[in-house]
Amino acid sequence: MLRLNTRQVRIRNMIIAYFIVFISLCFFILPMIWIFYCSFRTQESIFTGQVISALQGFTLNNYITIFSVTDFPRYFVNSIKISSLVTVISLIVSIFGAYGLSRYPIKGKKIIILGIFSTQMFPQVLMLIPLFLVVFSLNLMDSVLGIVLTQLILVLPFSMWMLKGYFDTIPIDLDNAAEIDGSNLIQQLIYVILPIAEPGVMVVAFYSFVVSWSDYLIVSVISQSQNTATLTLIISRLSSSLLIRWGQVCAVATLTIVPTLILFAFVQKRLIKGLTAGALKE
Amino acid sequence: MDKRKGYILIIPAIIIMCIFTLYPLIDGIRVSFTDKSMLKTEYSYIGIDNYKQMFSDPIFWLSLQHSIKLTIIVVILQLIFGLIIAWTMKQEIPGMQIFKSIIMASWVIPVAATVTIFKFMAQSDVGFINIILKSIGLENLVKYWFGDPKTAFSFIVLLHLWRNVPFYGIAFFAAMQTIPASFYEAAEIDGANAFQNFWYITLPGIRNMIIVMVTIHVLWTFNNFDFIYLATGGGPINKTDVLPVYVYRQSWVNYAAGYGSSIGTIMLLILSVYLIVYLIMQERGEYQR
Repeated sequence: MLRLNTRQVRIRNMIIAYFIVFISLCFFILPMIWIFYCSFRTQESIFTGQVISALQGFTLNNYITIFSVTDFPRYFVNSIKISSLVTVISLIVSIFGAYGLSRYPIKGKKIIILGIFSTQMFPQVLMLIPLFLVVFSLNLMDSVLGIVLTQLILVLPFSMWMLKGYFDTIPIDLDNAAEIDGSNLIQQLIYVILPIAEPGVMVVAFYSFVVSWSDYLIVSVISQSQNTATLTLIISRLSSSLLIRWGQVCAVATLTIVPTLILFAFVQKRLIKGLTAGALKE
Repeated sequence: MDKRKGYILIIPAIIIMCIFTLYPLIDGIRVSFTDKSMLKTEYSYIGIDNYKQMFSDPIFWLSLQHSIKLTIIVVILQLIFGLIIAWTMKQEIPGMQIFKSIIMASWVIPVAATVTIFKFMAQSDVGFINIILKSIGLENLVKYWFGDPKTAFSFIVLLHLWRNVPFYGIAFFAAMQTIPASFYEAAEIDGANAFQNFWYITLPGIRNMIIVMVTIHVLWTFNNFDFIYLATGGGPINKTDVLPVYVYRQSWVNYAAGYGSSIGTIMLLILSVYLIVYLIMQERGEYQR
């Protein structure tokens, strides 16, 4: 076998790397660009079966139609409402919970942490019928609150684990100093702890929003009318109907994924750090 | 005083988890011993009849087989491609920063949207995949890829890869950053080749991350419902049926809540066995080191 010198190895690696980057972009990114592109094309243009179409093949009508003719705006608002509520509640509950677990002596702490975390492995489809009955008996069927409370179980375990990890790294002396200065627990959290744990809080907020925004299973069971239907529910119905207006489907898909991508752009660096830090700590 | 504060802080989380996770789980297992139907309120306990029925149900065995096959294939392929992407990210070439920041986009978007994108791409008349195939003269391959019993399963695998491989890449890359450069320098002096570097330095260096990623994704893939339900619904002719989809269909389409729950309970059992084996193996690994 011939042996390459360092320079040759570098150049060879560079060529291979660019090749993999190219293939990866085609595979992972192109599909998203394709539906974005097709959301601006007319039905006729899409049905020519060509990649490039003439200038008159482009239109804003898909967006205009979904906003003015269909119930899309309503579903969009529902999605925003539900995901925002899940984010806020999950933040409050998990900040308190994680702080309690991190700072105070609690009986059976280990079991509680293990218990919360092991819920991640439970098959959601098994819990779905009892969940449905719980929501039903609480009189929360087809309500935003019913969906929000149920979706919380998808995000709380990760949120608490993430935040506890952050709180554990903050020296307890800081809490004590604040306490001596006469601040109460809420003040301690807002002025001392949360500013330091801010990256973790951002990650939890992002994670909660996106998981709720993406949830299909729970919404499909609890939502029963237009009042609570979300974008994920609608988009899956659109693409399984008989005569599909692909331009409009692409427009809905684009507007479903864009909010998550915008949020991702903001937290991207912290998210990657946060997601990987936990595994590396061990 | 201090003690009570701790309990007050964790109580909201505990209450939510108990009502919406622990209780539903236990109740789900209980229902698996009944003939409960979603159509009527009264039901009775029928012992292990549901489990007996399951053992002679060919679709259950098929779904179980598909679930295990899918999980193994998906996780192994994700591992391999994740390592390749991580290696690529390690190369210091212009534009790599941009690549790293956009590549995880597919992991962030809703699964329902992913399925829609790929359904559109797989259409026989307007789909991008078939347009490309036509343009390079492979017209005889043109078809609706999710509708063909021969390709539907592979396409489900593809969806899983599309979503998670970039995450693997980023995670492995982050882990590789923690390996001291001096290890590789020492290896170079010893005349190690690229494969030896990878086998003796990189792989052990990211061992923990590999274990975490594989564990998370075995659970995630085995439990995943929406990819298959939304893409094929388990078809064509049960070629992509997996346990979560079959449980959902039994419970919400056939209204056989009792029977559906018994299959769900078996899923839970399989995952518990997996987790116990994993914990034992990890314990042994700790002793060895």
